[in-house]
Amino acid sequence: MSYCVHCGVELDDTAVICALCNTPVINPRQEINRLSPLPYPQKRGQVERVKRSDLAILSSIVLASSGLASLLLNILVFKSSWWSFYIIGACLLLWVFCIPAVIYTKLPIYLSILFDGVAVGMYLLIIAYQYSGYDWYLSLAIPITTMVTILVLLFIFLHRYFQTSILSTAIYLFGEIAVFCVGLEIMLRNYFENIIYLTWSSVVLVSCTIIIGALITIITRSRLREAVRKRMHL
Amino acid sequence: MAIDISRKTWYKLDLSANVYPTLQRKNFSSVYRLSILLKEKIDPDLLQKAVDITLPRFPSFKVALRKGLFWRYLEPNLRPGPFVRPDIINPCMPMHFKGNNRYLIRIYYYESRISFESHHSLADGSGGMFVLQTITAEYLKLCGHEIKPGGYVLSIDSPPTKDELEDAYLKYATSKVQRSRSQDRAYRVRGTNEPFYTLNIICGVMSTSEVSRISKTYHASITEYLNAVLLYSLYQKQKEEHPLKEYPLKLAMPVNLRRFFPSITLRNFISMIYPSIDPRLGDYTFEEILLQVHHYMRYYINSKFLNGDITTNVAIQTNPIARTIPLFLKDFIIKTFYTRVQDRQSSAGLTNMGIIPVPPDMEPYVERFDIYMGQPFSARTNCAIVSYNDVLTINFASSIIETDIEELFFRKLVQDGIHVKIESNRTMEVVK
Repeated sequence: MSYCVHCGVELDDTAVICALCNTPVINPRQEINRLSPLPYPQKRGQVERVKRSDLAILSSIVLASSGLASLLLNILVFKSSWWSFYIIGACLLLWVFCIPAVIYTKLPIYLSILFDGVAVGMYLLIIAYQYSGYDWYLSLAIPITTMVTILVLLFIFLHRYFQTSILSTAIYLFGEIAVFCVGLEIMLRNYFENIIYLTWSSVVLVSCTIIIGALITIITRSRLREAVRKRMHL
Repeated sequence: MAIDISRKTWYKLDLSANVYPTLQRKNFSSVYRLSILLKEKIDPDLLQKAVDITLPRFPSFKVALRKGLFWRYLEPNLRPGPFVRPDIINPCMPMHFKGNNRYLIRIYYYESRISFESHHSLADGSGGMFVLQTITAEYLKLCGHEIKPGGYVLSIDSPPTKDELEDAYLKYATSKVQRSRSQDRAYRVRGTNEPFYTLNIICGVMSTSEVSRISKTYHASITEYLNAVLLYSLYQKQKEEHPLKEYPLKLAMPVNLRRFFPSITLRNFISMIYPSIDPRLGDYTFEEILLQVHHYMRYYINSKFLNGDITTNVAIQTNPIARTIPLFLKDFIIKTFYTRVQDRQSSAGLTNMGIIPVPPDMEPYVERFDIYMGQPFSARTNCAIVSYNDVLTINFASSIIETDIEELFFRKLVQDGIHVKIESNRTMEVVK
């Protein structure tokens, strides 16, 4: 039997270190027993995934039946316009949003964001169809939806594959805000005035650049970073 | 009186069980573990058979947790299971209410050990001990030994009675005044959280008679002595940190109310007491801490004070306004109260189940018991004590990397002349 030289407690024959103080076990008279079973198993347990099929079926049926009911009402009772398209579109939109949460939880986040973007585009298409305004749809709605989807995808990618401190997340966020505002103004100017120039978004761009510059300085200087971490810790 | 298990059967959660499901997080469940170490290697097939024939005797354990509009409730679970499985390094892992075929218990085996894990909403440690010992007795019977019921072993041929399933809180809360429950904030051990799916166990095995002898030299009981040692460890730890502001040191200690009220319920029937010292009043020696704990326990643990405590809890939950609040709001309120107030009232948890009796026929096959309080709600350490014959085990369960409290605790025992053997599931790096 071996004792910890630091704590004075007896240790199990199989112990390599003292669990209390991390002191290695060195006993020239008795080798560490590597053959007997350890006092605790080594296999790590995992909580099993919960099936949410009930909720998935329920939400799909509720959404499908409300869409169908409004379509029937539209065809048979309130025939003035195709108002039911809004409701069917909204149901479809909700259903697509629900996919990663309840219907198919293993769906990669990038794909689900892409689907969300496509669903929003589709809903805008319904509005465009109702108001016969494909012009704004093609030159404003589609580009803005695409831009927002790409920015969200990029944010998730950066957040997952690079440093994920609060400061780096803030850098990504401010960078994307700047890009979004500039992109939005360019699209709006192009659509309404056919000339591209920047006014309000340049203010956002400059502010975000200053903030990002400050954040990068803090991140690269370890002393500053530590000071911020100490003062801002939660 | 026998009870009928049919589709119409369902159980209300008992008074304290209502709190535990609300604390459920993705990485936390109120799960505790009881283990029995036998002298021979476990045969999983026989153990499964023993579980299958034993569980119908315990209808309040063969249940699933469901949500109502105002309260959660338990309904009999007729799905296959629970199945015994090989043990894992991270006991008391979170338990999703919809996973594991909706069972809220798990049974593991490893070498010669059988472990029983239960969600706290079903029962407290004493209730769980009945299930574990009855399963073990049935297992030993299947191995060819003869075991007569007694102590924590119930006969599986006798039907479950209503008294075993009662909510004893409602029955025995008769105090006319309610005791206030507000307490000061207590010192909290700051530590580095381990990653998800890690529960560090440090188990100290020692001789009950030796601990008893040492406690007697201090004129205290074993529980009082070990309580004082843990408080002393926390006290030293706070001193080492040189904090700007010191906080009182408090232990949250469950008291088994069956000792004071004649109930045989297999569900929860515990109340919390908080032995404490306040270092803001001045420096303490170990003897002073022990004296404080000794007097606190003698003064506080009696049927009158405990009655006052449970009456407070009963009054809150039977209040008509509280009852009609929808469940999601109740969850929010209880969770907020727990994280903001109750969880901050104690520096560590400590429970002592005392000497566990087993039927005389079973004694030759049992080596020792281990109990674990489970994963602590916040970063700290929980300590659970149990003894059987002359073996006393103290199990620390913590989800932080640091082992300072455990080290101070066991070192004090060694200094007092107690021979301690340590076992652990920690896989630490060897520091060279």
